[in-house]
Amino acid sequence: MGRYVVRRLLQMIPVFIGATLLIFLMVNVMGDPVAGLCGERACDPATAAQLEKEFGLDKPLWQQYLTYMGKVFTGDFGTAFNGQPVTELMATAFPVTVRLTVVAIFFEIVIGVTLGVVTGLRRGRPVDSGVLLATLVVISVPTFVTGLLLQLLLGIRWQWISPSVRYGTLDELIVPGLVLASVSLAYVTRLTRTSIAENKRSDYVRTAIAKGLPRRRVTTRHLLRNSLIPVVTFIGTDIGALMGGAIVTERIFNIHGVGYQLYQGILRQNTQTVVGFVTVLVLVFLVANLLVDLLYAVLDPRIRYA
Amino acid sequence: MPEQPHQPEGAIAGTGMGGAMDLGASEAVTLERAPGGPPGTGPAGRPRSLWSDAWRDLRRNPVFLLSALVILFLVFISLWPSAIASGSPLTCDLAKSQDGPGPGAPFGYDGQGCNVYTRTVYGARASVTVGLCATLGVALLGSVLGGLAGYFGGTWDSLLSRLTDIFFAIPVVLGGLVLLSVVTSNTVWPVVGFMVLLGWPQISRIARGAVITAKQNDYVQAARALGASDSRILLRHIAPNAVAPVIVVATIALGTYIALEATLSYLGVGLKPPSVSWGIDISAASPYIRNAPHALLWPAGALALTVLAFIMLGDAVRDALDPKLR
Amino acid sequence: MLLDVRDLHVEFRTRDGITHAVNGVDYAVDAGETLAVLGESGSGKSVTAQAVMGILDTPPGRITAGRILFRGQDLLTLKEQERRRIRGAGMAMIFQDALSALNPVLSVGDQLGEMFVVHRGMSRKDARARAVELMDRVRIPAAAQRVRDYPHQFSGGMRQRIMIAMALSLEPALIIADEPTTALDVTVQAQVMDLLAELQREYRMGLILITHDLGVVADVADRIVVMYAGKIVESAPVHDLYKAPAHPYTRGLLDSVPRLDRKGRELYAIRGIPPNLTRIPPGCSFHPRCPMAQDVCRTDEPPLYAVSDGRGSACHFWRECLHGPDH
Repeated sequence: MGRYVVRRLLQMIPVFIGATLLIFLMVNVMGDPVAGLCGERACDPATAAQLEKEFGLDKPLWQQYLTYMGKVFTGDFGTAFNGQPVTELMATAFPVTVRLTVVAIFFEIVIGVTLGVVTGLRRGRPVDSGVLLATLVVISVPTFVTGLLLQLLLGIRWQWISPSVRYGTLDELIVPGLVLASVSLAYVTRLTRTSIAENKRSDYVRTAIAKGLPRRRVTTRHLLRNSLIPVVTFIGTDIGALMGGAIVTERIFNIHGVGYQLYQGILRQNTQTVVGFVTVLVLVFLVANLLVDLLYAVLDPRIRYA
Repeated sequence: MPEQPHQPEGAIAGTGMGGAMDLGASEAVTLERAPGGPPGTGPAGRPRSLWSDAWRDLRRNPVFLLSALVILFLVFISLWPSAIASGSPLTCDLAKSQDGPGPGAPFGYDGQGCNVYTRTVYGARASVTVGLCATLGVALLGSVLGGLAGYFGGTWDSLLSRLTDIFFAIPVVLGGLVLLSVVTSNTVWPVVGFMVLLGWPQISRIARGAVITAKQNDYVQAARALGASDSRILLRHIAPNAVAPVIVVATIALGTYIALEATLSYLGVGLKPPSVSWGIDISAASPYIRNAPHALLWPAGALALTVLAFIMLGDAVRDALDPKLR
Repeated sequence: MLLDVRDLHVEFRTRDGITHAVNGVDYAVDAGETLAVLGESGSGKSVTAQAVMGILDTPPGRITAGRILFRGQDLLTLKEQERRRIRGAGMAMIFQDALSALNPVLSVGDQLGEMFVVHRGMSRKDARARAVELMDRVRIPAAAQRVRDYPHQFSGGMRQRIMIAMALSLEPALIIADEPTTALDVTVQAQVMDLLAELQREYRMGLILITHDLGVVADVADRIVVMYAGKIVESAPVHDLYKAPAHPYTRGLLDSVPRLDRKGRELYAIRGIPPNLTRIPPGCSFHPRCPMAQDVCRTDEPPLYAVSDGRGSACHFWRECLHGPDH
């Protein structure tokens, strides 16, 4: 187990470097990093040259990348467009997005798994077909449309919620969390359903019935335990994707989280904000994946890591 | 774009009880689990293949027929939008801003006084073009890269696997924002290019897995033993078997690309006015959501229906091609 | 009589029509008796057993007629709750492939102990102790340590012993073993079969042994029924059947076993393929493959003729078959 973790951590290094380098190149090649530094006005050439020198922008890109990463590892993520250190932005943005993600994951587990179990056990019945169609619709409607519709109905028409989030508390994040979770929730439902339906026909479930166990025990102890293994891994890997995918949801509900800061950073072409946030997101994604793999070994005794 | 269910590394121990299983079956009487006729023939006794079986299933599947019909209609209106909508989507009259339905404008007018019906009809072209081109590009690039890596293995394979890991680590919408935010072109091609760039790892992973599975089949080993060349084995023996999963994933991905185009356009980095796209219209209508929700609902509905049609089509094809799920 | 199956009919609804899996099966087992059920795949032998156990997948399966009398009580009239209590405690089943029949994510101790927790209301600790006893009983070395292991950590033979231990745990009156040794190495097969036979004698259980392996049957069975296309074609005490089969299908089965005294001669094979159960041939369902078939076989379905006391054959020409010359 220990050796496996070490090997996986080593494997993460090239992926981490690759992903951050890719973003670094995209931001630098595509944009004009100096443009964002003079605020709203265009820089005059002299200031631009001076800024370029100051930030080391006259050096080759790979050197810039190394310098930047060197600083990142000492905790210096640079300065955002408004002169604030990027780390300060992170300190305010990440807690909000983490809360949003937690709400979303909660919905995936509670609604997605429940619906999946119910439909998987009643495959082919009306409930099953109905939920299946509903998941297809949810997957088909893009998140931003779902978000705008819920905002229109719940926030504006019926005024159950405030159409924009002010403080980022959990109760404010219920509807945005549901919107963020929606597509994944539908996938969790379908995945659970397939898994349950497949395992329901398995030999060990037949054995459990032949042992004279009550139906409830067959389902919870034998069927569910096995069927949820792939679901747990899906939800685990989804954590990283949700945090990175929160841009749209945060924009609709005006939530000042990671997505909002990234969007601002991109609009203002602030390299350090964008690369800094993406670096952290990539790290979260990689660590979440590693944890999921380790969790897999706990859930399924057949998996042995060496 | 959703991720495929995660497969962790590490071997499943104890499933290879090979030797013990073979011995029992070498009796005079063969074992076969399910009651029923001999496998490989249909009720009429004619030979079955995966494709003809799948086609027989699809023809009878109302979901498939319905979604295929919707898609045909969409293709039709993206080729000839003027056939069902009069006027130009770019002719707008601010005096009619946020007006309700009127003659020639059954869906009413948006904030700029544009005819919502005309714009919704004309918006299909962008979605269908982006969806088809991106899927074609992703499928070609992904299956060639993934297929070759799966077939030849070795260094290129591990290199490609790491590369796909890198791409998977970057959130798609985020990548789109960064890459497309500086593009000023008004065509669909930057968007398509971006989708191919970030989408190929998904298909490459599927193709790689399918090729590796197909490669282990006995008839492939036999072809190799008989001295068939690599290209012949790949094209004649492996490709036909590996293509089914790629088609399934690509069809479903087509729907998600259309949704992604709209999302990027909504965020202001996909297509940009004066292009006509549902995403642009939804974005433009969202500030007026209080007074003129119709300007948002019609393009949003059209978008959802389009994505739904492609995803249902992919779902039906998957069910037909994957006999395990029956 | 411990178990008495009468005129059982089972069918499955499939995509290609209705599959007639079991078409009027009668058999009986007494306490301490071993009944072997012989047949190819698709002969209905496993489906009959599943119907007896009450673990048939319904739908698509459906019992359309018949009675299953267990200690004189018709199981098909019982409520699901009452049947559940009989499963495991009154009758138990041993499956072919122990690796897939045991739950991969629960330890064998949990799976064995579960029987006592559910049926006897024991505490988990006591149940664990009983699990160790059982594993000892089926001669699994170091049972006290291995009770925490998972199925995949055992060898095929050991896993099948665990399956047997699980079936025996509540000392049921009837055990149904569905191809219990088919998935095992030949060397292990004998050990497992001996263990099963020994335990059966000790507890005086009725045993239904479902198999396609004639070698296994000869040593342990008292009676034998041969099934074909969902029907019993021959029923006989085991030695009578081996000495002189009274049905051409049984004869074909016996002749297709390789034998040392016929070394060098071509091995006999029954021609043709098993019938499609959605469209079973009229008359005697075996007639398309039968070397002795006459016109009457194509039209008239043979009843189970009484050959002698306790012996029956569903062949119009059972006399010829019984005394007939070696083909």
